[in-house]
Amino acid sequence: MQLSKKIVVLGHFGVGKTSLIRRFVENSFSDNYKVSIGVHITKKVVEFEVEDTMSLILWDLEGTDEIKTIRDAYLLGTHGVVFVFDVTRPSTFQSLNTDLEIIKSKLPTTPLFVVGNKVDLVVVSELETLFKENNIKTNFLTSAKTGDTVNDMFFELAKLIK
Amino acid sequence: MVEKDKVELLRDILFTDDRVFVQKIADRIGVIEQTIEEKDKLSEKVDPIISKQLDDFVEEIPTKLGPAITATLKEEIRKNKEEIVDALYPILGKMIKKYIAQEIKMLSNKISKQLSAKRWNIKFKSWFSGVKEEEIIISNLSVSTIEQVLLIERGSGILAASYSKTKTIDEDMISGMLTAIKGFVEDAFGQKNQNLELIEYELYNIHLQSFVSYYVAVVISGNYSLEAKDKVQDLIFDFYDDFMGKNLDSLFSSDGNEKKEKVSRASLEKQLNKKFENAII
Ligand SMILES: Nc1nc2c(ncn2[C@@H]2O[C@H](COP(=O)(O)OP(=O)(O)OP(=O)(O)O)[C@@H](O)[C@H]2O)c(=O)[nH]1
Ligand SMILES: [Mg+2]
Repeated sequence: MQLSKKIVVLGHFGVGKTSLIRRFVENSFSDNYKVSIGVHITKKVVEFEVEDTMSLILWDLEGTDEIKTIRDAYLLGTHGVVFVFDVTRPSTFQSLNTDLEIIKSKLPTTPLFVVGNKVDLVVVSELETLFKENNIKTNFLTSAKTGDTVNDMFFELAKLIK
Repeated sequence: MVEKDKVELLRDILFTDDRVFVQKIADRIGVIEQTIEEKDKLSEKVDPIISKQLDDFVEEIPTKLGPAITATLKEEIRKNKEEIVDALYPILGKMIKKYIAQEIKMLSNKISKQLSAKRWNIKFKSWFSGVKEEEIIISNLSVSTIEQVLLIERGSGILAASYSKTKTIDEDMISGMLTAIKGFVEDAFGQKNQNLELIEYELYNIHLQSFVSYYVAVVISGNYSLEAKDKVQDLIFDFYDDFMGKNLDSLFSSDGNEKKEKVSRASLEKQLNKKFENAII
């Protein structure tokens, strides 16, 4: 039987949630920014080994600066969460630890990845100091534009929730 | 168009050869266009509506404006009725035209589908059963069909099992989308225990029946009448009853080994097929 898992991707406006999913599912990227409204759902089958696969049902949520306003209905039954921020816009990660707490209060036992996106626009070594100053810990640094670490990130999450 | 007229129109256009068929539709459209474009004919129909609306409108004014103004207004409107009708006419005309165009499009879509794929089938049916071809076609048009049935986990929207008459878009994705829509509507408008029951989408009706840990979505094409709804609900309850019974059986199996295993997808789908494949609604 095909195993299916629900992954929710969330974060502030324009951090690249939709772009990360598009890179992962279609291996493509666009510079055009189309604001997401509501939820968009896509699916990607990952293969661990021959005959050993998992369907990831990806819920791409509209961006919000107020994480606590996210509809509970969208989070029900979630198997994995990806919280995305934009490494070039401090406003999307300054309140990261509060944001994460809100998510954890809603989904206390669900595995969660913190992902800093758009690394193609910065020098990674400078980021490290910035993160230290802001007391930020990330699981992955990605670029939807170049594809850097995008597949790895989703694949690791799939392995974790298998 | 009234239901009866639609059927008349259908009867007329279906059973003549194709050239006549096209001519007939063209004639009908001609007549309809003429009606719309002939101002007099239209204002005959529209005048009483307008008068009534004007009266209602005028009635409300006295509370706000003095009676003197009302009298003048009344007089002015009465004198200029023609102009007012004129101003409204293109708006109404457009609405009527759009509506009719839409109706005709839907009708001819249905007809051409019927013609291409089922024509021969119907000919044979008619031959053997002795029922007139046109009657078979007309009865087919008003019938509703179960296109797809999805058993979906509440909350996560993960698909547990499905039955599908014809494979359409990815069922995992449909299940997720339905769940998102359902969640949104229930969250935004409903009280805690209210469930979204019906989604109308283009030519389909999607019936949603919620249970505790799952819900069932049935996609129906065609005319979804109350009777059909009643039958669909019965089918769902039947199926779910069965499913839950089996689930409990396998959770608490009598051989002592606690299996904690749910009913397999394959056996669920077999069951769905059996229940819904030949169901007449
Ligand atoms: N340079 C660069 N630009 C990116 C990257 N990811 C996304 N973008 C751009 O950032 C903008 C926003 O991307 P989206 O993927 O739409 O962001 P989102 O988080 O889905 O936005 P909302 O759904 O509106 O909250 C777009 O113009 C993207 O092209 C990246 O890795 N590098
Ligand atoms: Mg988006």
